[in-house]
Amino acid sequence: MMPARSSPLHAAHLASTAAWCQLHGMPTPLRLKAGGVPDPALADVSALMRCGLKGPGAAEWLAARGMPVPERANSWSPTPRGGLVARLGRSEFLVESAWNDTQAAEVSQALREAAPGVYPVLRQDCALLLRGARMRELWLQTCNVNIFGIPAQNREVTLTSMVGVSVTILEQPLGNDACHRIWCDGTFGAYLWETLLEVAGDLGGGAVGFADVFPDAATLPTITL
Amino acid sequence: MSRRLPVRPGEWIRRDRPLRFSFEGRSYTGFEGDTVTSALIASGVRVLGRSFKYHRPRGVLSMANHDVNAVVSDGIALNQRADVMPLRDGMDLQPVNIFGSLSADRASVIDKLSRFLPVGFYYKAFYKPKWAFPLWERLIRRISGLGTLNFAAPRPVSGKRYDFADVLVVGGGPSGMSAALSAARAGARVILADENAQLGGSLTYARPGADEAASALAELLAQVQVQTNIEVRTATFAAGWYADNWVPLVDGQRITKVRAKAVVVASGVFEQPAVFRNNDLPGVMLASAAQRLLHRYAIAPMRVAVVLTANEEGYLAALDLLDAGVQVQAVVDFTPLGETHPAARRLAESGVRVLCGHCIVEAHAAADGSGVSAVSVAPWSGGGVATGAVETLPCDGVLMSVGFAPAAALLYQSGAKMSFDELLGQFVPGELAPGVFAAGRVNGVYALGERRRDGERAAQLALGHIGLAAPTPAAVARERRAVSHPFPFVAHEKGKNFLDFDEDLQLKDFYNAAQEGFDNIELLKRYTTVGMGPSQGKHSNMNAVRLLAHILEQPIDAVGSTTARPFFHPVPLGHLAGRGFHPVRRTALHARHEHLGAVFMEAGVWLRPEYYARPGRNKAELVREEAKAVRTGAGLIDVGTLGKIEVSGPDAGELLERVYTGRFKNMKPGTTRYGIMLDEAGVVIDDGVIGRLGEDRFYFTTTTTGSAGVYRELQRLITMWGLKVGIVNVTGAYCAINLAGPASRTILATLAQFDVAEPAFPYLALREGNVAGIPVRAMRVGFVGELGFEIHVPAEHAAALWDLLMSTGAAFGIRAFGVEAQRALRLEKGHIIIGQDTDGLTTPFEAALDWAVKMDKPFFVGQRSLRVVQQQPLRQKLVGFMLDESFAGAAPKECHLVIRDGQVAGRITSITHSEALGRYLGLAFLAPDLAEEGKRFLVRGEAGAMVEAQVVSTPFYDPKGERQKAAAAAAPRAEEVSA
Repeated sequence: MMPARSSPLHAAHLASTAAWCQLHGMPTPLRLKAGGVPDPALADVSALMRCGLKGPGAAEWLAARGMPVPERANSWSPTPRGGLVARLGRSEFLVESAWNDTQAAEVSQALREAAPGVYPVLRQDCALLLRGARMRELWLQTCNVNIFGIPAQNREVTLTSMVGVSVTILEQPLGNDACHRIWCDGTFGAYLWETLLEVAGDLGGGAVGFADVFPDAATLPTITL
Repeated sequence: MSRRLPVRPGEWIRRDRPLRFSFEGRSYTGFEGDTVTSALIASGVRVLGRSFKYHRPRGVLSMANHDVNAVVSDGIALNQRADVMPLRDGMDLQPVNIFGSLSADRASVIDKLSRFLPVGFYYKAFYKPKWAFPLWERLIRRISGLGTLNFAAPRPVSGKRYDFADVLVVGGGPSGMSAALSAARAGARVILADENAQLGGSLTYARPGADEAASALAELLAQVQVQTNIEVRTATFAAGWYADNWVPLVDGQRITKVRAKAVVVASGVFEQPAVFRNNDLPGVMLASAAQRLLHRYAIAPMRVAVVLTANEEGYLAALDLLDAGVQVQAVVDFTPLGETHPAARRLAESGVRVLCGHCIVEAHAAADGSGVSAVSVAPWSGGGVATGAVETLPCDGVLMSVGFAPAAALLYQSGAKMSFDELLGQFVPGELAPGVFAAGRVNGVYALGERRRDGERAAQLALGHIGLAAPTPAAVARERRAVSHPFPFVAHEKGKNFLDFDEDLQLKDFYNAAQEGFDNIELLKRYTTVGMGPSQGKHSNMNAVRLLAHILEQPIDAVGSTTARPFFHPVPLGHLAGRGFHPVRRTALHARHEHLGAVFMEAGVWLRPEYYARPGRNKAELVREEAKAVRTGAGLIDVGTLGKIEVSGPDAGELLERVYTGRFKNMKPGTTRYGIMLDEAGVVIDDGVIGRLGEDRFYFTTTTTGSAGVYRELQRLITMWGLKVGIVNVTGAYCAINLAGPASRTILATLAQFDVAEPAFPYLALREGNVAGIPVRAMRVGFVGELGFEIHVPAEHAAALWDLLMSTGAAFGIRAFGVEAQRALRLEKGHIIIGQDTDGLTTPFEAALDWAVKMDKPFFVGQRSLRVVQQQPLRQKLVGFMLDESFAGAAPKECHLVIRDGQVAGRITSITHSEALGRYLGLAFLAPDLAEEGKRFLVRGEAGAMVEAQVVSTPFYDPKGERQKAAAAAAPRAEEVSA
């Protein structure tokens, strides 16, 4: 049985959440009290399963397990099961599952078996999803990298700083739109979340629940904390 | 008396939108589109402010954001420049820098004393007698400065912003718009910034009714409007240029830091004043200021004008006045031959007198001092002195059109080489920085058609620079006429001929400065303060250079110009502060601490519980209680802020062997060791616990603030040494909890799914396993000197583990304890904290860490230095000390000095009152001969009181370490603890 997990933003969600769901053992806001769809919208997707690995044998190890291996450093590839593999450097990878999948947990399990030149990396990120027509303005006010100057088809991964916090960023399709995914060290998560919400609030944006970004998740059973 | 003219083509005001406002308590009306100044001038107000030093009445000078004597307070917004401040309905404006009112400023008495207050007088006065200096200081502070700070004003939050462009064009005149269009048509993303409220530059005020200018303006505006890849930013100025084409654009709300692939500077020129007696009277203004009032705001700047000129622009301005119904009394031309421009002929045909080879000797003030009533003119030789009969011409306004200075600050800042074009009378760019291009009048190109072509040329160069195909640009010739007069200065025995209106600097001040030896342009600037006022020399620097060149009899290129630095124009402090981004790290247990009433302290970027507040208890009591819980039952502290690094690979042990001073290759899996890390100088920089997880896997901790630095350094060393090892910084991924106290093993045993008893889990052992299903790494270490377990847990499970330990430990009186209690407990054990009990020079020998240094190893970082240090006598030694048990005074504090024979002989690094031992104890650096056990020494404590202490051995508490190494012992129940 999976022990209870907590999002780095759990405390931040307590006052604003209307309905919670349990996603891979982590209580996650399914819907928020505030109505409407703010723009830009920010969602906590820390509950998605993910793992990391690095080392000179990491790329080969992933390929041997049928995982897509991005050819270039700082790029990413989608997995057939809806997740992604991001290459964070020459020999470091982040694997993340689709919301309704556990592929990353399977990879993590496999990493327990020692393999030469392959080192597991514990990922305890604060993971965010940002969407909306006003995303660009939020980026301009929080990050000095020209995120929108990167063609989406290049599937680039950007490792940079946002409001003073080191973040990993990529653009990903979401339904008919695009969204940005942001990962940061979980201990910076609350600060990053609060600061981005403050800026987003000035732009008419705010937080949304998991079902607002993954509509299929709306059918998840709700839980009481 | 309104000075507003009938509707004029291209005017900026909306006459259907009147706005009411007050200035100095009087009500006025203006229009949307007016500035504060234009609305006041339209209402017949002439005196808009008082000068900085002499409190002389001042009016319009430039209408171009440089009228620094016409600044107003608008509520909490101080020192707003009225010449460009947009008028809003309901404004309640006040002038600044006055004592009384604008019309009766008591401080204007200073003007009468001006002969005693030459420039630099403050360097020679006030410093003696010494006792009088505070009086002078108070007086000067009271009468100087502009506006009054309101400390209660709310902080405005202006967001920071970045933006990106292929080409940034600075300046929205004909050159800038042409450049923007050319770049945009080639597919570049363009930002076009202009400080004015509307695009157009000089086309909006310099003869805008003329056919060529009007059609050019309309055409360019229409084309810019439809070009969707041009982002127009008006009322926005480029405040500086930084490396790699970073340009801060400042508007009313914020700074936007623009990263541009190329920058086109088409920022135009600043018109420069002539210098003659009383050239600062309200009504005496730059010709371009009068034209701005006339064409943008439909205001007749005066009824009867005299135009002082030295170029064709002055004649054109005179024509503008005539066309607007202003009587032009005379055109006074500095040049002996006058103009051949058609405007001169038109003026003559209109009956306007043109006095060539003349100067204005003096402007005369009206009886009430509110403006000019006449000027005295006379022939001159061009050398700064009137040479013939003086004639007085009545007028209520004077236009000055004698030359320009390039608005080249961005070019200078980017490293452009500027040279002086003697014919044009202007500095022009020579070699430009890569990616920076100049166009238009700043580039010495004045004719309208040429300016447009110059803009296109600059854009093509910019496009080539960023790799977009562009045709080879054709060269554009610079103007070949004298646009600026080389010496627009007229001496007068009574002075008050101002060269710098910000600082009230007169012509004679510059002669005096040069005579006193400040004859270099940089020295002259600092002595006279020319160009150091709010306008930053925009209307004075060029004249200062001309004057110094004249005094030194050197060419202007030889004199040079002062260094241009950002910011080019004052930027509001609120903009600079912007939205504050101050990252804070919180452990996964932060909410748990908040729930328990934690009082947080900052530890680097982390927030840590200092102690846990409870009603009715003070901090000292609570810290004592928390410490007691650890000594008698169990305590729980969040140590998740410790740095945590995993090392894997065949060379993992080798790496640790090289970066730590101890031995680690021979560690058995499942064990831990203390380690210290040195820099190349042998100075202690970090410490931690190193655990061996497997044959080629280690996991170690660093100090709270050291993790990032240690990780970075290890990466560097691994690369340098070519080791087969991978490192992962898991500081944030793992949380860590220290469960300490005699009951700790019993509590953990209840939950752990591995054996925590002796001998299965001995002191200094490391185990991986599950606690109530939660995967953990547990280390039996004892920083606080009790039986204890440091449990490292993936951050997402930390809260669950904390809750389990707290609930299980409740029966044993478990209590969360904070950093304060931890520091006291560790001090009882004599454990040092790197950075508190060491400093930037401390070697392990001084810190009594010899035992952790294996000098017989082949190598470790810092070893070579330590070999040298070993040969030297010790500088100081860290030792334990105690105060006498009977001591009852104010205890010394950290950093208090040890004094021997009146000399410093050491300092305290840590001190606490030990509840366990009932006395004060601590650590101190002492001179080696003092650092012997049993020796007594004096510490200079609070208010100089000398406190006696004695050197003792450490640990103070449980010296044999029996408690932390304790074999299985019956854990006390809660009732025993409370008893």
